[in-house]
Parts: sequence; C-alpha cells; structure tokens
Amino acid sequence: MYAFEFQKPTSIQAAVEALKDDEAQALGGGQTLLPTMRQRLASPGTLVSLSGIAEMRGVCRADDGALCIGGGTSHAVVAQEAAGIYPGLAGLAARIGDPAVRNRGTIGGSLANNDPSACYPCAVLASGARIITDRREIAADDFFEGMFTTALEQGEIITEVRFPVPEASNYQKFIQPASRFALVGVMVAKYAGGVRVAVTGASEEGVFRWTEAEKALSDNFAASALKDLTVSADGMIADMHGSAAYRAHLIKVLAGRAVEAAA
Amino acid sequence: MRKFGTSQSVRRIEDVRFLTGTGRYLEDTAPADTLHAVVFRSPVAHGRITALDVSAAEEAPGVHLVLTAEKLEAAGVCLAMKSTVLENRDGTPGAAPERPILARDRVRFVGEAVAVIVADSAIAARDAAELVEFDYEDLPVHVTPRPGGPAIHPEAPDNVALDWGWGDAEATDAAFAAAAHTVSLEVEDNRIISNPMEPRGYWAEMRDDRLHVTISHQNAWAPKERMAELLGMPAADIHVTIPDVGGGFGTKAMDYPEMYCVAQAARMLDRPVLFMADRTETMLSDNGGRDLASSVDLAFDADLRITAYRVETIFNLGAYNGQHAQAIQTELALKVLTGTYDVQTVWFGARAVYTNTNQVDAYRGAGRPEAIYVLERAIDNAARQLGVDPWELRRRNFIAADAFPYTSATGEIYDVGDFHGLLDEAAIRADRAGFAERRAASEARGLLRGQGLCYYIEAILGDPTENSAISFDADGGVTLYVGTISNGQGHETVYRQILEQYSGIPHDRVRVVQGDSDRIASGGGTGGSRSVTTQGTATRANVEAMVEGFAGFLRELWEVDEVLFDAQDHRFRAPGTNRSVDMMGAAGLAREEGRDELLRHDHTATLPGRSYPNGAHVCEVEIDPETGVVTVDRYTVVDDFGVLMNPMLTEGQIHGGVAQGIGQALSEHVVHDADGQLLTASFMDYAVPRARDLPMMGFAHRPVPSTANPLGMKGCGEAGTVGALAAVANAVLDAVWERGVRRVDMPFTPLRTWSMLNADADRI
Repeated sequence: MYAFEFQKPTSIQAAVEALKDDEAQALGGGQTLLPTMRQRLASPGTLVSLSGIAEMRGVCRADDGALCIGGGTSHAVVAQEAAGIYPGLAGLAARIGDPAVRNRGTIGGSLANNDPSACYPCAVLASGARIITDRREIAADDFFEGMFTTALEQGEIITEVRFPVPEASNYQKFIQPASRFALVGVMVAKYAGGVRVAVTGASEEGVFRWTEAEKALSDNFAASALKDLTVSADGMIADMHGSAAYRAHLIKVLAGRAVEAAA
Repeated sequence: MRKFGTSQSVRRIEDVRFLTGTGRYLEDTAPADTLHAVVFRSPVAHGRITALDVSAAEEAPGVHLVLTAEKLEAAGVCLAMKSTVLENRDGTPGAAPERPILARDRVRFVGEAVAVIVADSAIAARDAAELVEFDYEDLPVHVTPRPGGPAIHPEAPDNVALDWGWGDAEATDAAFAAAAHTVSLEVEDNRIISNPMEPRGYWAEMRDDRLHVTISHQNAWAPKERMAELLGMPAADIHVTIPDVGGGFGTKAMDYPEMYCVAQAARMLDRPVLFMADRTETMLSDNGGRDLASSVDLAFDADLRITAYRVETIFNLGAYNGQHAQAIQTELALKVLTGTYDVQTVWFGARAVYTNTNQVDAYRGAGRPEAIYVLERAIDNAARQLGVDPWELRRRNFIAADAFPYTSATGEIYDVGDFHGLLDEAAIRADRAGFAERRAASEARGLLRGQGLCYYIEAILGDPTENSAISFDADGGVTLYVGTISNGQGHETVYRQILEQYSGIPHDRVRVVQGDSDRIASGGGTGGSRSVTTQGTATRANVEAMVEGFAGFLRELWEVDEVLFDAQDHRFRAPGTNRSVDMMGAAGLAREEGRDELLRHDHTATLPGRSYPNGAHVCEVEIDPETGVVTVDRYTVVDDFGVLMNPMLTEGQIHGGVAQGIGQALSEHVVHDADGQLLTASFMDYAVPRARDLPMMGFAHRPVPSTANPLGMKGCGEAGTVGALAAVANAVLDAVWERGVRRVDMPFTPLRTWSMLNADADRI
C-alpha cells in the first residue's frame, strides 16, 4: 500500500466537495478497494470515507411501499432489517462474503464498483430499483454499463437505493469455490406487472436481464416455463472455474431453482 | 486409572497458549528493531537476465542492503542449494543442475528470488524493490509436466531429470503375458499448494559473535549444517531456534533461499533481519505437492489374485531439484507400492521432469499418498472392469493375518496387521448394508450417490534415531529436551504424557523444549509421521536408564543391596525396609548429595523397525448432476495405529489429514497459464476446504500393536491424507459410473465434474 491522505466527512455535501479533487477516491466499506491498494494495484491520493455520513445509513419504507436502503448501509444491516419486507433481498445480503465482509461492505460501494460477480447488482436489476445519488435518480436499467462500469459520474455518490418490493422473489447464488463470489447468480422477482430475471457472474458485459425467461415466467410463474429456453454461451465469462457453456447452463438451472424457491 | 498417562485423551496443553493469543510464532519472536527483507521475484517463467541493476534500490530511503547472486558470491556464499540426487535406471546419476539461492543469468519460474532488499521497514523495502531494474530476454516456457519442450537445464535433455526404476521388469512382463486378466488405468494426482496457516519466515541476528537464526521449519539441526556449508562458517558459530510453528506439512521440512539471505544479511549488517512471506509469496514460492500422472497395470490369475503390478509415473519437479524431490515419487512411494496386497512381482518406473514452475517436493505423506492413490484407484477400477465387488477383490488379495511379519515385494517388513478384520469393521461402521437405500433416496432427489473405499497402508519414515534429555532444574521443574519439532500436532501434551507414564514425573512440573540447536545437540526433526514414535521411544529408554541411575544412587544412600522401581506407582523402594521415594524426591536427594550428574539424563534410542499404520476409509458422495457439485456426505475411518498415546490427538490428526485429502480431491487446483503465470495465486482462486465442506467423520480404532517399537504404536500424522484421496475419487467414480463415465481425475470441482458428466458439452 502506498501512502495516501484520508478524509472522513460527516455530510453528503462535504463528501461531494472532497471528491472534487481529481486524486480523491470514495471509500465505502473498502472490501474491494483496500485489498487492491494493499497489492499496490491502486494508489489514490486521498480516500474519502463515506462511513461517517449518518444520513446515508439505514433501512426504511417509503410512502409508495418501496424499500429504501441508505448507500452506506452494510450488508449485515440489510440482511437483518429487510428480512420482513423483502426476504429475497435480505437473503441475498446474508450470503455476501463472510461476517466480516458483511459488516464492512456497503450496498452503495458494491453497486458503484459493479463487479461482474457481485450479488447486489443482480438484486437491483431484478427489482427495477432506483439509484439515488447526490445529484439525480438513475433507473436500474440505465445504471449498469458493463464490467466495473456504471452511469455514475466522477465523484458522484450513491446515497440511497429504492427497491420496489415484489410479490415473490428468490436469489440463487452458485458460488465460485475459492472466492465464494457468485460464479453465477440469478435473481427472480415477481411483480404485479410481470417477472424480472437478472443474472450476475456470467456475462462479460456484467449483470444483465434474461428477457426470454422474464416473458415466459410472466405468463407462467413455474420452473417448467423455462424448459424450452436455452442460454447462449456467446459472451459468457470463461475461466478456470467455469467455461462459457457451463455458465450458460447454470443460468437456466439456477433460474428454475429460484422460481421453485420463490413460488 | 491415571488421568494423564498414555492412552488418555488429555486435552492439548499448548492450546491454552494458541487459543489465547499468546503463541509465539516466528514474527512474534523477532526483535522490535529488526530490519525487514523483501524479495524481488522473477515476473516471468523463463528468461535470460540481460540486466540487473539494484543501484537505485540501494539508494532508496531506509535501505541498508540489496543482495543479489553476485553479492552473495562476492561475500563468499556458495549459491548452490542442496538436494538429493538419485540414480537413473542405467546407473548414471540423475540431473543435478545448480539451484542458486538467488537467480544468476537466468530465471526459471515466476516467483524465483532474484534480489533481496533489506530496509528499515517492509514498506521501505517494497518501495525500493520497485526501483530494481531487471531486464530479460524471454525464453520459451515449459509448463506441462511431460518430457520434451523447451530446455530448462542443459543437464536434463528433454527436461527429464531422472529416469528411475525398481523391480523386475522382465518377470513383470512375463507375468502379464501369462495373466488370465489384465486391467489398466491412467490416473492423475493434481498439484496442490500446502498453504500452512503461518507462512514461511526467518529472522537472523549476530549475538556474541555468533549467528543466531530463527526459522519456521521442521528441523533445526540439518538447516544449521547446511547454513554452515553454504555461508562458509563453522557450524559451532550458528545457533538455530524454532519458535511455535503454524503448520509444516513437509513444506517447511525444506530450506528456501530466504533463510540463507537473511542469515547472510544479518552477518553483513550486524543488525537483525526478518523475512516473512505473504500469502501470494507462499503460493508462488513454497514447494508444491503431488503433481504426477501414472499408467498402472494389474495382472490377475483366473481366481482374481494379483500376479503382477506395474506402474509408470511421470512427476513434476518444477524448475530445480527441490531438497528431497527426486526421492518423493520414487524411493518414498516405493515403501508402500503394493499396499496391503500379497503380490511379489512388480515394476515401478518413475521419470522426473523439469517445468518452469516452482519446486514440487514433500507434502503430507510424501510419496505414500501418491502410491496408495494409484494402487487403490487401480484395484477399484479392476473390480469394476472384472465385474466383482471392489471390497471382495481387495479381500481376495490381502496379506493374510497369519502371514506377518511379511516382507513386501519392495523389501518392507510389515510387522503386524489384520486387514480382513479391520475391513469387516469398516463395513459395519460405514453401514455398507444401508448404502443401496441411501442411493435410492438420493436418486429420488435427482442426485447421484457413490461409495468409495480406500484400504491404505503407511510406512513411517524419517530418522529412526532420536535423542531425549531430562533435566531436574533448580526451580523444581523438569525440562524435557526433544529432537522433534511440533508444527501444531500437540507434542508438548503427548510427550508429557509419555514421560509421566514411565517416570511418574507430574506433567505439570514438565516443560518441553524443542528446536534449539544450542540446548539440544541433535535431532531428527518432524516428518514422515516419526515424531511421537521416535521421541516417545527415546524418552522411555531415557527413563529406564534414569531409573537405573537413581536406583544405584539410592542403594548407596540408603545402604541397601536392592532398590526397585515400581512401574505402577512410580516409587523407588528398598525391599524389606520402609524406605521409598518417587522420581522427583530421588532427584531432590541427588541434589542434596551434590550428585549433579543425576540431575540431567541424556539418551539416544533407535527404533528396531518401522511401523505400518493401516486402515480403511469409506467415503460417500452425492453429486448434483445439474451443477457438478460434489458433496462428501458420509466419511468413515477405521484405523490400526497400534497403541494410542493420546486418542484425541490421533483423531485430530485424522480429521486434519482427511480434510487435506478432501481438499485436494474436491477443490484444490493449481493452474498455470501457458506463460507459466500462476493463476491460483490467492485464496480468491485457490480453494482450500472449509469446515462446511466436510461431514462429521466417524473414527474407530482397531489396533494390532506394533512389534517394531517398544511403545507398540504406529505413526498417525500422514495417514488421514493417505487414505482420503482414493476414497473420495472411488466414490465419485461409483456415483457417475451408471452415467457412462469411465475416467475421473481429481480435483472434482463443479466445472470438472459437470464436464465429465457432459463430455459432449461445448467446453470453451
């Protein structure tokens, strides 16, 4: 790790100001950034910690029924406090990393990083959630722009995420044996207006919606509805833990299991 | 009954220290003002060094010294590390290219040590390492452990370091020609990284004009001799100590370049110097394990008795000869080549190849897990091919219980054993009878269930001689000096049990001292499952001699003709008088009488023979055919370790050994890319087993006491790993056999297992 400056503002406004410096980098829970810095693969001049901003933490219910989660809320808090409202999401949060990761890592940090194997992007996309930042609101379908790439501008902070609560949902995570990230993860969420299916871990483009499955499941919310669908291996990630064909195959298997678990 | 003698499950005394954070591991013992050494490592797998300029690094803030091959040589250090070299089958010696402490002229694997930067802090040293100018010309890379490919050493044409063989090839061929049945198998044994919880580390300082080196190692005395030789100084001027060690596994039985570098740096700077590997360095530069492929043939007569056994192995050495690497898949594997079966006609050929990867050397079991894996896969496969029950085929070929002592085809004298009786018990413990029902239940849930057996035998290795010293100290305590090195096994507990068992010296008065070359003149270290057998035997013999000594002294003191020592209550008595005293009391009297020679007792003992622990591992797996996930659902071990010194410690060794075996079988997977870069260089990609990956293990003991040592025991440190590999692999094959799969090779990761089941799937 190289030397760096450290700031810990207590308001969103102060954080936004601090992040105007070109050398500044926002720090959420640090579960990706700090190991990267330790390996000397990242060397920000200033870390602006968001963990001192009380208004960015917590879970609540909006007037329209949406589940609102502050951008600085840890996975452990979501796992606990969202359990009665959106159990599919709480279950997802409860299986991110290990207890230490869940107590440090934040939803905002995970979404801003958009790791292609992360769990939260899958939930946000499957829920059609809205990302609230210090300057605007971004729909889930517009937020993710490929591996480690999002619609966020330089210095933009995720202050809150609003999840419409589905009638039924489930997240199936197939773990990569070493890292325990999602080798493939599939989230299915059933709303009055239709079913959404999002997939993480599989595509070279990052998290994506499996629209064919959404159509089929919107007509018939049963695993059997997926029987005749196939997922192409084109564009899937291939590495030592999973070939493209294996990942494509797992998407269908996990989607079916998610429907069974949710139904 | 005594609560602390042998055969009692005494809780580990050292765990109080380890579990309350007061263990003293290598880094904990380094002086506060130590300098820190950081290694500049080769970024490429094969290259000719065209420039190595460390002048900028030397000028960097906080840097005291930068060592290179050139500087070591200029200081009089011999660069060539020591290694065992075997003979080829034609009688010529195997290849022995130089393995330099620091690379000279050429680098041969990613992670090879090139320069060592010594600075005030590890951060300063790392900053300076970035200033090392290292230019190289790429050379073609040889990664796959097969003969051929770009030459790595001129001494090894086709990259073959050793072409070794043992047995009677002609007789074996003739037996195969005459056989009623022959069955063949190709089988791979995957490479692993041992990953001790505490990485390797060393620190050194000059103290009273002598070199003091603290090492995380399995032996204090052999490294001392080797340092004396390579550093060019008298061994008497070197003091080696070993603090608490957080895992050895054979990996730490060997020397590594950093030990020599910190020792030399401390000499040159007259300051303490510490090197502590981080996890990725551990993965890049620790010796790997296993990494071999074998062709195996079994010949049977019409009654399905094995008439001949033939193995041809190719094993990976890595870029250089590891310290003992040439002997692992050859002489060490040979010890148990034929396992528990009565077959006298054998041929075992093994070729060692160099690759542009780090060295491969001993790993828990060192050759014996590999030999048993090959044999137990082969016999299981033969049963399937011949259409007989695999348990029955083993029984038909077991060495009979009345055939002991039995001299195996490879010259080992198995002292005792009862393989039939033990296997019968394993069938009951593992509920073999209930397997069909469990399989049906799994099938109903869409899962494949398989059961696998491995009947293993182990040969205890290492130096059969060990020293024991017992001193009665002025503070009223007793110090037991040992020549073995606990890496976490619980030696302090079991050695106190053994000492109390034979001498009656209360365990809570005893301190155990290990790993100090000044206080202990010599020792055999830990490895080959030797420690408790050799050290226990030496301590027992020492007590016997000590009893003689005290008895003589008490005869004089009490002016009697006879003093007897009661082995039950541990008191010396003069028959016909009411005089009696225990061991501590006798030592107290000796001290009062000025008989200082009775206050310290040194004894050396040599085992009369090796012991041969053996047992059955029965594994049941469930496989999800949709995902390829293999779950170990049931695991049963029945072992014969002779007389147990501490049943709880033994069971712990089995749990750990089986966990390492299951880890290798299911998840531990070393992958290099075509350029020789290690892709599995962190725990993000290298999967060690977690507790949740393991079932509760059933462990039962069915002892036949060894006749090859006075304790009647058999070593247990490696046995768990020896049995686990084939038990898991045979279970996996059993599960997928009905799906038409005929070949399975570890590791059974989800991807690899799914691919086996879907051989026609597009494998990108």
